[in-house]
Amino acid sequence: MDNKNKYWKGLEQLNNSPQFVQTKRNEFSEGLPLEEVINEKDFELSSNRRDFLKFFGFSVSAVALAACNNAPIKNAIPYVVKPEEITPGIPNYYASSCGACSAGCSILVKTREGRPVKIEGNEESPVFKGGVCASGHASLLNLYDIERLKNAFVSGKESSWDILDKEVKAGLASAKNIRIVSGTVNSPSVKKAIADFTTKYPSTKHVVYEPISISALIEANKQAFGKVSVPGYRFDKAKVIVGFNCDFLGTWISPVEYTKQYSSNRRLTKDNPVMSRHIQFESLLTITGSSADIRMPVKPSEEGAILISLYNKIAAMAGAPAISGAQNIEKAGNMVETTAKELWAAKGASLVVCGTNNLDNQLLVNAINTLLGNIGSTIDFDNYSNQKTGNDTEFATFVSEMNSGAVDAVIFYNSNPAYSYSDSKSFETGLKKVQLSISTSPTWDETSRMVKYAAPDSHYLESWGDIEPKNGYFGLIQPTISTVFKTRMALESFLRWCDNNTDAYSYIQNYWKSTILPLGNGEWNKSLHDGYFIIPEKAAQVYSNNASLANVTNTAYQNYTSNKDKVEITLYSSVAIRDGADANNPWLQELPDPISSVVWDNYLAISKTLADKLGIEDNDLVNIKTKKGNIEGLPTLIQPGQPNNTASIALGYGRMVKGNTGKEIVGKNAFGLTALVNGQVSYILGDVTIEKAGGNRELARTQTHHYIEGRAIIKEASLGDYIKDPLAANHDHHGNLRDKEGKLITLWEERDAKGHKWGMVVDLNACTGCGSCIVSCSAENNVPVVGRQEVLVRREMHWMRIDRYYSFKNKEGQTSTKEKDIHKNVTDFENIKVAFQPVMCQQCGHAPCESVCPVLATVHSSEGLNQMTYNRCVGTRYCANNCPYKVRRFNWFRYNDNEKFDFHFNNDLGKMVINPDVTVRTRGVMEKCTFCVQRIQAGKLKAKTENREIKDGDIKTACQQSCPANAIVFGDMFDANSELVKLLKNERGYHMLEELNVQPSVNYLTKIRNVEGTLLEQNDHATAKHEEHKAEETHTEHN
Amino acid sequence: MYESPIREVLVEGGKTYTDVSNDICRPLENKATKGWWIGFIVSALVLALWIGATTYTLMTGIGTWGLNKTVGWAFDITNFVFWVGIGHAGKLISAILLLFRQKWRMSINRSAEAMTIFAVICAASFIVSHMGRPWVAYWPIPLPNAFGSLWVNFNSPLVWDVFAISTYFSVSLVFWYLGLIPDIATIRDRATTRMRKFMYNFFAMGWDGSARTWNRYELVSLILAGISTPLVLSVHSIVSMDFATSVIPGWHTTIFPPYFVAGAIFSGFGMVLTLLVIGRVVLKQEEYITMGHLDAMCKVVMLTGSMVGLAYITEFFIAAYSGVEYEQYAFINRATGPYAWAYWIMMSCNLIAPQVFWTKWARSTPWFIFVLSIIVNIGMWFERFVIIVTSLHRDYITSSWAMYTPTWVEFSILIGSFGLFFTLYFLFVRYLPTINMSEIKAILPKKQTQH
Repeated sequence: MDNKNKYWKGLEQLNNSPQFVQTKRNEFSEGLPLEEVINEKDFELSSNRRDFLKFFGFSVSAVALAACNNAPIKNAIPYVVKPEEITPGIPNYYASSCGACSAGCSILVKTREGRPVKIEGNEESPVFKGGVCASGHASLLNLYDIERLKNAFVSGKESSWDILDKEVKAGLASAKNIRIVSGTVNSPSVKKAIADFTTKYPSTKHVVYEPISISALIEANKQAFGKVSVPGYRFDKAKVIVGFNCDFLGTWISPVEYTKQYSSNRRLTKDNPVMSRHIQFESLLTITGSSADIRMPVKPSEEGAILISLYNKIAAMAGAPAISGAQNIEKAGNMVETTAKELWAAKGASLVVCGTNNLDNQLLVNAINTLLGNIGSTIDFDNYSNQKTGNDTEFATFVSEMNSGAVDAVIFYNSNPAYSYSDSKSFETGLKKVQLSISTSPTWDETSRMVKYAAPDSHYLESWGDIEPKNGYFGLIQPTISTVFKTRMALESFLRWCDNNTDAYSYIQNYWKSTILPLGNGEWNKSLHDGYFIIPEKAAQVYSNNASLANVTNTAYQNYTSNKDKVEITLYSSVAIRDGADANNPWLQELPDPISSVVWDNYLAISKTLADKLGIEDNDLVNIKTKKGNIEGLPTLIQPGQPNNTASIALGYGRMVKGNTGKEIVGKNAFGLTALVNGQVSYILGDVTIEKAGGNRELARTQTHHYIEGRAIIKEASLGDYIKDPLAANHDHHGNLRDKEGKLITLWEERDAKGHKWGMVVDLNACTGCGSCIVSCSAENNVPVVGRQEVLVRREMHWMRIDRYYSFKNKEGQTSTKEKDIHKNVTDFENIKVAFQPVMCQQCGHAPCESVCPVLATVHSSEGLNQMTYNRCVGTRYCANNCPYKVRRFNWFRYNDNEKFDFHFNNDLGKMVINPDVTVRTRGVMEKCTFCVQRIQAGKLKAKTENREIKDGDIKTACQQSCPANAIVFGDMFDANSELVKLLKNERGYHMLEELNVQPSVNYLTKIRNVEGTLLEQNDHATAKHEEHKAEETHTEHN
Repeated sequence: MYESPIREVLVEGGKTYTDVSNDICRPLENKATKGWWIGFIVSALVLALWIGATTYTLMTGIGTWGLNKTVGWAFDITNFVFWVGIGHAGKLISAILLLFRQKWRMSINRSAEAMTIFAVICAASFIVSHMGRPWVAYWPIPLPNAFGSLWVNFNSPLVWDVFAISTYFSVSLVFWYLGLIPDIATIRDRATTRMRKFMYNFFAMGWDGSARTWNRYELVSLILAGISTPLVLSVHSIVSMDFATSVIPGWHTTIFPPYFVAGAIFSGFGMVLTLLVIGRVVLKQEEYITMGHLDAMCKVVMLTGSMVGLAYITEFFIAAYSGVEYEQYAFINRATGPYAWAYWIMMSCNLIAPQVFWTKWARSTPWFIFVLSIIVNIGMWFERFVIIVTSLHRDYITSSWAMYTPTWVEFSILIGSFGLFFTLYFLFVRYLPTINMSEIKAILPKKQTQH
């Protein structure tokens, strides 16, 4: 930094001699005359600094207490002995692993004064690379859930762990047939503990149960390659990706890992215009399908037949024999043929994935990948994944065993089959026959309410643990708070029940030291510090495919032909709620579904054509009748992109939780409609009857208009056009409104920014719309949850939103984005394009909100930020009206300590999640995205105390930090070497509503779809046409 | 004063000075009539509704209204602009018509000015109640304070509003009160009870009726009229800048100041007509507020209604001519979007309906004028609703487009504000002369002397 002082304390300062710098850092150059003060006779103290501080401290606190009459501090207990590592006001970060799902992403837990307040991605992790999904962020709030079990319970009554242990051990000792039913266990220590348990009680069998299962995939791998595992997928190595009903960016197996891989091939620059090509065949519209370059809507029953045709076409190119007896089917635009060609052209670097839990289809996918030579390149069985290892058949066997009375003791660990099992009735009756039933569920869920012993597991943030999400990648989980209630880690419970009194910490440490760390010269302390420990990846081997496809053809074609005109329903897991385990989490319930923008509900997403045929409109209640069961009174939502004669329903809703957010009936449980087909749970319902039930339930949606109306809000071009012209779809139309420097003419004086000017770039091509940033932002900035009713009247408080726009092709084959045209000229509601756009405060240079505030509550900072002073706000709401981006949020009510908003801000425990760096806003004031100004300040402070300048990447906003797609980059526009400034030079960059010349600090990069060549036909011609038209315009301007 | 024999007399019935005093003081000095009691009690009940709904809002939050993240203003500011507009006729009649020496104004200016003051009180109530934190409603006033260097934002049209409305209110109040002094003195002199004597004596401020007093009175009246005249134009111009200085399509319009002033006069005269058509009958003042007055006011309504209509059409033209897609959409949306019903109510009430005043019959049929005046009031309320809500609910970013639905609280406050207005008006009718006696005496037709 320049020495800008005009007056110097002396020559020393002018020269900035090292000695001077040294003395400058001491606040009092001569030291404080403490001795003199203390030595006064009145004190009668022999001297010392500590006593001085005691007196000083006492008087300060006495004054402070006297001054605090109005706001008595409740239960603020100071540290008796200050822990060495805790400084009030300074956050500590601990590396750990996320326990929200079996993906086990590596995370950092931010704690303040001993309580976790935020989950961040661990950027050093080579697998997860700093990404965290929405569920991961939200899992923090489960720690502070007031509904958690606060002690051990016996027969529904609060008891003590001693009694529980005594009775459980007695029961286990006399049991002849013990079962442990758990979700995926990929913790090596828990596996070891279960093994110990099994040694002690040899009749124990461990049944792994996943409510949303991929067991067909595992079974197919077993049959084909002899590998009972989920392979490691390498989306980053794949040049062509073909997905079949596989939401790998949203919910499938390890979405953060896959999104990191996937998005690494979706970033473009002029000099390196290379991106992967992604073709998605899917029934329900997912965020993966939305991000795809080409999305083919297919009925679920078509999948098998298409896979066979695809196989045969590739086989023809590979010179391999076709599947006998197969007749090929084709989709519009010869898409099967095209896909086959695309895949073959990229053989060895392509990837076909299928998310359907159907053995035949998975075998076909394996066969296709084998033909393409992807095994050993993009599909890696040597670094396989341990995420999601449920076995549907084993669980079904377990239920029938219970019913036959063969099981006399069962422990439910991390699983809730009473809610999610397809035949919950037989599960219930079976469970009643079991003498000893135990659940480690941390809350009263459907299963734990039925068992005799509730032995609540601690939250992962208060537990020791480990996890091996991928083979050779070990994550550690360390507690960041002592247990809030009298809960006990399930690991310890297992140990206690087999008479092992080791605590979890020693048990895990011993196991790691004896077994895991020697695998690769690991050190315990380093692993704990890093949060993970890896042994070098093995080289991926090629495995031959030994599965027979002989039985596949008939079923697939039968399925295809018999369902052709019938209504089919796909049951899926939604991005926010997934399998329903966290249905009691208000952050997740209020996270808008990325596609439908619905909160707090599930619904029947139905195709437009089918809805018209049945006379159903949005929000109408319908009854659904299937062979397996019925759902009554489910609201509908007409979903573009849903193929004709299909619909879909999200799983995970309809939980019977007593919890504070469960008071609202959150949707309907669709797990009852799943059925075991050929040993795998099928989430496809064929031959369904949908009928109007009468009445309606308005779905609360955060977005109710879905088209850009031809406005340049989102700019999109094809890769071909982009290569020809990097400014494709992004030509400047304001040429004659610019001055000599290229700036738009303005009436106002330019604002000076001093030191820094903060800015952001959002890459629309990378964003997948997953919603992680929204929850991250809510956690960081204490954004209140407002509930369904308030969202219905459009008052959600999220500081950032992800807008989602549909575009259609009209009868003339042109892109249609205008509502009127869509109503008149669009008949094809299946083939649509979807674009996502994260929108936060654009931090305008000439902010329209600032000029209209009567009390200067929102003002411009010297670093280009648009600041909001809550204390000064009188709540005229003019700023929100005048915001062209509509990013301002008003506190219509007091959202804390208010019975009407009975979410986490309404109880002392839930409030522990509050970030102390951010004010909790009161009723009647405006709020909005601040670019995480508290992080900017913290970053500046840190740099200052370390006596250095801020480095690029020091400061990351909450939305940016854990974005699984790295779509958001924040930085200093004055730092010429920053990643931000490099991105600002990208030709794809544009400002939203640039013509208003409010000079936003957020830059968007145009969306590019990789559709050139043979795929261009599939893309709409209109983008090109539109562009032609605009090119003419620019041409005229130059004349 | 010379009177043309062909010009209609301003006061009919061959009144003498005594007649005037008796006629105008009668409603004050008699026992309150049944009609007055009924009117007053009904108004007070509606006022209670306003008090209830406003208190509920203040205690609970603006969330009790139907506003949302996209539509941040609706009924609140609609009502505010509506009431400020209502007030405009009073100022126009008392100031501009005084300067233009329109003698016919004399029998209506008192009630019109009272209306102004009560309407501004109603409007001010919305400024306070629409705030998120009404307990700090004084912050937009540039008061010296102990908060540090906090000051108001002089760039904000809302601050201009604070000045405009407060100036307007205080000048109107002083002007109105000044005009009342001679009349209060008359009532004082006629008073029979001690209480009345004391009160009216107090408010008459020692008026002695001397030539010197009259001279000063006239002088001050003229000065105040001079001060008030620019206010007629400034207040609503500034209110219109609440919208015009924004970036929202449909608000960001340079035509707004004259258009709003015309609209305000239009609605103000509508309200004056509503009150006087009834009042002149109930208070038996047909001879003072003659058909000639109604006729003149109808003409003003027709003229300003047409001006407003022209502005509506001009806005459309400018939107089309500008080539700005957002602006064009905003206006297409007004006429054809989900709030088109409000737009067409506005168009038919404000532009089409007043055109009937081209006919003599319409201008001389009191019941018809009354109906029309109500229509004008409805139309002008909808004008503000259309401008505010339809512009906001669909602006730039289509993802944020939203609908606004008012709640019962907002309806209660709107209806209740009429209770506030009419309660004050009924008290005014009961305790103060509704016609300026001293001025009206000056324009009595000369007795026809027999030659």
